[in-house]
Amino acid sequence: MTALPTEFAPDAPVVAPDVTMTSLSERVSDRVLLPRAPLWWWVGFSISFLLLVVLLVQMAWLFVFGIGVWGVEIPVAWGFALVEYVWWIAIASGGTIVSALFFLTRSPWRSATNRIAESMLLSAAPCAGLMPIMHLGRPGLFYWLFPYSTVMGVWPQARSPLWWDFICLLCYILMSLMYYYVGILPDLATVRDLAQTRIKRIAYGILALGWRGSASEWQNQRIVYAIMSAIMAPMVISVHSVVGLDFAGGLTPGWHDTQFPPYFFFGAVVSGTAVIMMLTILVQWGYGLHGVLTDYHLNALAKVMLVGSLLLAYAYVWESFGPLYSGHAAEKTELYQRIFGFTSPAFWSEKILTVVVPQLLWFPAVRRSKLLLVLISAGIVLGMWQERYVFVISSLAHNYMPSYWGQFFPTLWDWAALAGTIGLFLTMFFLFLRFAPIVSLAEVREIVAEEKPR
Amino acid sequence: MTAGLTSGRAYWRNLEELAESAEFGAIVRREIPRFADIVETFDRRRFLQLMAASMALGGLSACGPEPDPRQLLPYVQEPDNIIPGRNRYYASALTEEGYATGVLVAHQMARPIKVEGNPDHPASLGAASAIMQASILELYDPRRAQVAVGNGEISTWEAFVAALHDRRNALTARKGEGLRVLTGATTSPSLTAQIASLQQQFPGMRWHQWEPLHRDNERAAATSSFGRPVERTFDLGAADRIFAIESDLISATPGWLAYARAFAAARRPTETGGKMSRVYAIETTPTLLGAKADHRVAMRPDDLQASLRFLAGLLGAGPQEWSQAQNAHGTWLKAAADDLAQHKGGALVHAGREQPAEIHVLADAINDALGAFGKTVRLTAPIDASRDAKGQSLSDLASDMKAGKVDTLLIFDCNPVYDAPADLDFAGALRRVPFSACLALYDDETAGACTWRLPATHEYEAWGDVRAFDGTVTIQQPQVRPLYGGHSPQQVLAVLQGKSAASDYALLREYWRQRAQQENRGDFESFWHEAVRVGTVANTAEAALTLAPRRNAVTGLAAPTDRAANAIVALFRPDEGARDGRYADNPWLLEMPRTFTRLTWDNAALVAPATAKRLGVDTHDVVEIAIDNAKVKAPVFVLPGQAPDCVTLPLGFGRSAGGLGTGVGFDAYRLRQAAAPWVAQISSVAKSGDVQRLATTQAQDRVLGRDLIREATLDQFNKDPGSIAKKEEPASLYPPFDYSGRAWAMAIDLNSCIGCQACTIACQAENNVPVVGKDQVLAGRVMHWLRIDRYYSGSAEAPDIAFEPMPCMHCENAPCEVVCPVHATVHDHEGLNLMVYNRCVGTRFCSNNCPYKVRRFNFFSYTSQNDRPAESWNPQVTVRDRGVMEKCTYCIQRIRTTQIAAERDERPLRDGDVVTACQQSCPTQAIIFGDRNDRDSAVAKRKATPTDYVLLDELNTRPRTSYGALVRNPNPAIKSNQS
Repeated sequence: MTALPTEFAPDAPVVAPDVTMTSLSERVSDRVLLPRAPLWWWVGFSISFLLLVVLLVQMAWLFVFGIGVWGVEIPVAWGFALVEYVWWIAIASGGTIVSALFFLTRSPWRSATNRIAESMLLSAAPCAGLMPIMHLGRPGLFYWLFPYSTVMGVWPQARSPLWWDFICLLCYILMSLMYYYVGILPDLATVRDLAQTRIKRIAYGILALGWRGSASEWQNQRIVYAIMSAIMAPMVISVHSVVGLDFAGGLTPGWHDTQFPPYFFFGAVVSGTAVIMMLTILVQWGYGLHGVLTDYHLNALAKVMLVGSLLLAYAYVWESFGPLYSGHAAEKTELYQRIFGFTSPAFWSEKILTVVVPQLLWFPAVRRSKLLLVLISAGIVLGMWQERYVFVISSLAHNYMPSYWGQFFPTLWDWAALAGTIGLFLTMFFLFLRFAPIVSLAEVREIVAEEKPR
Repeated sequence: MTAGLTSGRAYWRNLEELAESAEFGAIVRREIPRFADIVETFDRRRFLQLMAASMALGGLSACGPEPDPRQLLPYVQEPDNIIPGRNRYYASALTEEGYATGVLVAHQMARPIKVEGNPDHPASLGAASAIMQASILELYDPRRAQVAVGNGEISTWEAFVAALHDRRNALTARKGEGLRVLTGATTSPSLTAQIASLQQQFPGMRWHQWEPLHRDNERAAATSSFGRPVERTFDLGAADRIFAIESDLISATPGWLAYARAFAAARRPTETGGKMSRVYAIETTPTLLGAKADHRVAMRPDDLQASLRFLAGLLGAGPQEWSQAQNAHGTWLKAAADDLAQHKGGALVHAGREQPAEIHVLADAINDALGAFGKTVRLTAPIDASRDAKGQSLSDLASDMKAGKVDTLLIFDCNPVYDAPADLDFAGALRRVPFSACLALYDDETAGACTWRLPATHEYEAWGDVRAFDGTVTIQQPQVRPLYGGHSPQQVLAVLQGKSAASDYALLREYWRQRAQQENRGDFESFWHEAVRVGTVANTAEAALTLAPRRNAVTGLAAPTDRAANAIVALFRPDEGARDGRYADNPWLLEMPRTFTRLTWDNAALVAPATAKRLGVDTHDVVEIAIDNAKVKAPVFVLPGQAPDCVTLPLGFGRSAGGLGTGVGFDAYRLRQAAAPWVAQISSVAKSGDVQRLATTQAQDRVLGRDLIREATLDQFNKDPGSIAKKEEPASLYPPFDYSGRAWAMAIDLNSCIGCQACTIACQAENNVPVVGKDQVLAGRVMHWLRIDRYYSGSAEAPDIAFEPMPCMHCENAPCEVVCPVHATVHDHEGLNLMVYNRCVGTRFCSNNCPYKVRRFNFFSYTSQNDRPAESWNPQVTVRDRGVMEKCTYCIQRIRTTQIAAERDERPLRDGDVVTACQQSCPTQAIIFGDRNDRDSAVAKRKATPTDYVLLDELNTRPRTSYGALVRNPNPAIKSNQS
C-alpha cells in the first residue's frame, strides 16, 4: 500500500491482485460444497435457530390466545408489530438499493456485495411480511386483502394504504426472489459443476435450470438482469414510500404529513446499508474472502451510509418543522411528547445513533476500522428501530383526544416477536451462507478479467 | 336404600343387573311403590325411552320462564304479541334504599333483556340510571345465592319453613319475645301492613331497619324544624337560584332522575329564551350538582356549617350576628346571599344526606326565609315506612343481641355484618343469636354468619309494592319466574303468620283487595289490571303539607367548634356504582368509570392535590388510614376540586363474601363508627410504601389546547350566541354526498349532561358490550361504546368541570372508512358509519385513524369470557368475537326495527320513533337523536341552535354527532371562587 489511501486512488483494485478466476470459484463455491460447515457457522446458526423457535412459540401463543397477549391497546392499537414491520422492510429495501440501484449506476464495488445484499433482502422480507399478518385480529383471514372474486362480490378497499402496502409488499417479495434467482443462476451452474456428491449435483443441477454458459445464455441473463434492476430500483422506492403512506395517510398527529414517503426511504438506505455492512464483514471474516470483499467495498458502503445519514438528518428537521408549521395544538403537543415525553430516551438515542455518530464516517480512518464500522452500523440499526418505535407509538399515544391518550407497554410476547424475527432473519441468512454462493462469481469474474491485464 | 346391598361386595356391572336383584326390587316396592313396575320391567329400551322423554320434557321446561307464573300456557297456539325479534314491555319498579323508580322491562320471547325507565312513573319520567340499567345483569348473575343452607349444611326451603314453624310455636308461647326482624329501608305498604299484623300477633317482636346510607340527619332535622318527620321534595323547574351543600339532588336523592330532568330543562338557554338557573355549591368532595354549579367552593366539613350559618345570618334565617363572624368566603357568600334574596320564591337550598342535622336545620330555615316552602320545596308525609332512625335502630338491635335478648332474628334486604358501624361488632353479636335467618340475593357476609341463609328473589322475580319519592305506589310484577329458587320476605313472614304455603302474589293481592275496597277503587280486577299494566297506582302520591319551620330550631343550634389546624378528616361517601356495597357484585357497575375519578374496579381514598403534596403521596400510592384503633390500607387518588385536609373514603367495596365484588377495593366500613357515620377525625394517615395500580379510563384531565369544550357565560350567549360555537367548515376537494332521504344525526347538549353515566351503561346493556376486567382496563382495553369525558379547566383546587359524552361521531367524511383494507367499515345512504363485524380482519387502522377514539377492539374473546347466561344478551345485537373492531352504531337495531314496523304499517317514520339507548336512559335529555333532514325534528332544531358545534371541525370529518356549547351563568358580583 502506498501513502495514499486506496479509496482516493481512482484505479484502486476492487478485488485483491492475487485473486484469479479459479481461486475465486473455488474459494466461494467451496463454502457451499464443503461436507461440513465451519464451527462458527454452526454456532451462529444454532443461536439463530433457537431464536426462530422463540418466534414459533410466540406465534402459537398469539394465534391461540389472541392479539391481546401483546401490549397493544386503544389508542395505541399498533405496537411492536408495525415498528418491526417498518424496520424489517427498510432493511430489506436497503438490500435492493445496494443491489439494483448501484447496478444501474455501474458501481464496480457492488458486484461483490450484491449477493450479500440480496440474501439479506430475502431474509428480511419474510420477517417484514410476517408482522402485518401476525398483528391482525383475525390472522387467518389475511387473504381477504387479495383482490379475488368472492361469492359476495366484496373486493378489497382500494383507498386503504394498507391495501396498497399489501400489494406492494407482495410484488416486492416476488420480484426480489426472481431478481435474486436470475442473478444467481450462473453461479448455481458453477456449483453444480464443482459438486462432488451426487445429491448436490442433482440438487444444484435442478436449480441451475440447465445453464450451460453459452454466449446467448449469458446475453439473455445480462439483459433480463438489467431490466429487472431497472424495475427494482424505482420499485423499492415506491414500496417504501407506500410504507410511509401507511402513516402519512392516517389522520393522526405526527403521521399526517407528506414528507413521510421520502423520510422512510432515507431510513431504508441507512438501515439497509448498515446491515449489509455488518454481514459483509461477517462473510469476509468467516469465509476468509479478504481478497474478494476488500476495504474498497466497506469504504463504499460506509460512504452510502454517511449519505443516508445526512438525508435522514434533513428528514428529521422536517419532522419537527411540519408540526410546528401546522400550528395545530395536537401536532405540537405530539411533537413535544416525542421529544420530552415517555419516548424521549428513544427519541434522543435514535437521533444520536443514526445522525450524530455516523458523522464519524467522514474520517477515512474510521471507514477502515472494521470494529468501528460494525459498531456504527449496529448503532444505526438500533437507532432505526427506535425511530420507528417513537414514530408509531408516540403518535398514537398522543392523539387528538387528550381524554383518550394512552401508552404502549410491551409484554414479554412483544419482545419474543422481536427476538424471533431476528432469529428468522439470521437463520435464513445462515442458510444462504451455507447453500448458495454468497459472492456473485459471475460478476466478480468479470471484474477479475477486466483487472488482470494490468 | 343401600342397606340391602352392602352384604358382601356385591359389584354390579350395569343397571339391569342391579335392578333385577330381588333385594333391590323389594326395597323399591317398600320405599317407592310407584316405581315398582318400572323397575321390574326396566330394560335398556325402557331406559332409553324414559331418558328421551325426560330430555324432551327438560327441553320444554327450559322454554323460557313466563312473566307471570299464574298463567302458564302451553305453546300449542302462539300467545298474542310474542313475536320473535319484537320487544314486549312489562312495567315494574326497582328500589334503592326502599324508594321506587318505575321501570319498563323489555322482553324478547318472554326473556327480560333490558331495563328502561317508565315514562309514566314520576321518579323516572322515562329515564333509567346506571344502577337501574345494570339490574338486569344482577337478575341473571350466576353468582347469586342458589341454595338454602341451614346450620352449615345444604338444605331446602321446605326444611327452613319447618324449622321456622317449630320456632313459631315457641314464640307464640312467649308472645314473640326474642323475635326480631331486621330489614332495609322499605316503603312497601303491604310489607308494612304484614309486619304490623305480625306485631299484633307477637307483641314482643321488634322491627329494626338498617340502611348504611341512611338519611337520619335529614329526618332528625325535619323533626326539629317542623316538629314531625316530613319528606322534602323539590321543584327544580321553578328554582332560579339553587344553593347546594354537598347536595345529591341530581345524583342520589330519591327522585333524582326527575329532579335532574327539571334541573337541565331550566338550564338550556337555547330553549328557555336565554334564561338559566344559577347554582352555588359548597362542598367537601365533588358532586354532580357541584360540577354543574356556576360557582363552586370546596371547603372542609366544619367550614360548610360555618358558611351556612353565615349565609343564614345574611338572609335573616338566623341571628344577625352570625353574618358578622369571620369567614374566609365572606364576600362570596355575601354575593350569593344577595342573589338568593333577590329570587325569593324562586330559590332553594339543599343539603346532602351526609350533612349533619344542624346543616339541614339551617337549610330549612334559609328555605323558609327565601319563601321556598310551597314553591320550590314541597313537604309531604314521610314515604319511608318506618319512623325510626336507622342508626339507632341497628344499635338497639346489636345491644339487645349482645345482651342475649334476641333468639330469633330474620334479616331481609340488608347486610349488617358487612356494613354496620364497626364499633357495633354486629358479627360478634350475631353469633349470640341461636336462630338467625338471612334472606339474601348473594351469599353475602351476613348470610354466611346466620344459622340459615336462603336465596332471595330479585325484584324482577317477585310480586311486591313499593313507593316512589312522592308517594306513588307501583305494583311490582315479576318479570321472570325465580331463576335460582328464591323467596320473598313476605313469604318468610307469612310462615310466622301460619301461612306456610302463601305465595307473594296471594299476599299482595289480599292486601290490595282490602285497600282498594277501603279506598273505593271500584272493581278490583280492573283496578289491579290497570295498576300492574301502567306501573303506578293512580292517586297515591302524598299530598303537600303546609308547614313552616319553627324559628327556635335554628337559634338553639350549637356553634361549630373550632377545628384543629391541619387535622385530617375522613368523609364516608357512597360509591357511585356500588352505593353501600349492594351493587358491588355487578360487573357493569364495577367497570363503570366513576364520574370524576374515571376509576373502575376499585375505590380509592380521594384527596386534594394540596393535601396529597403535604402527605407526600400521589395517585396509586397506598396509605394506611387509622381512626382510633381501626386501620385500613387504601390507594390514594388525587382529585382536583376536593377540599383540602379531607380524605373521601367511598363505601361499598372490600366485600369479603358475595359475588364478583369479593376482594375488590378496600372496606371503608371498618373505619366507620355509629357516632360518626359521615365525617370522622383521622388519627393518622401514613404512606405504606406499597403501590396499587388504579384502573382509570381517562388519561388527561385537560383539553390541552384543543377546542373540545366550547363554553361561554350566559351574558355572552345573550349578546352573541353564534360566537360560542365558532363554526368552521373547511372546504373539500370532493363534492358532498347528497343524503336525500333520511340523515340520522345526534345532538348532545353539554349544558344538560350531568355526568351520571346512565348512557354508558344503557349502551352496554343494549349493545351487548362486554366487561373486560381490571387487568384489561389497565391495559387500555375498556369496551364502552359511549364514554363521558370529564375535563377540568382553571386551577386544580377549584376547577371548572365539563362533561362530554363521546359516542361515535358518524362522520360524513369518516377517516376510519378509507383506511380499512377490506371494506369492514362503510357508510350507508342515511349517513350511518356501519361496522361489518364479519368482514373485519382486525388491522385496527380504523381506530388509529379515528380522531375521536371511539372505536373498541376485542383484543381477547371478552364476550365468551363474560360469565352470564346466553339468554341475558340482547338477541337483536350481534355479539362480537375476538379480533373484531366495534363501536357505537347509533343503535342501528332500533333504527331498523322501527323502520320495518313503519313500513309494515305503511306510515312514515315520525320524529321520536327511533330512540337510541343512551338517549332513552338520559335523565336530562342531553342526547337527542333523529333525522336531520326533517326540519321539524328535535335533532334538526337542536342542530339549528347557534351554540351547536362539532368536535375537531378543522379535520373536516363532518361529524353527525354535534354538541351544544356549555353555558355557565356566573354571578357578576363574584370575581373568583378561590379565597
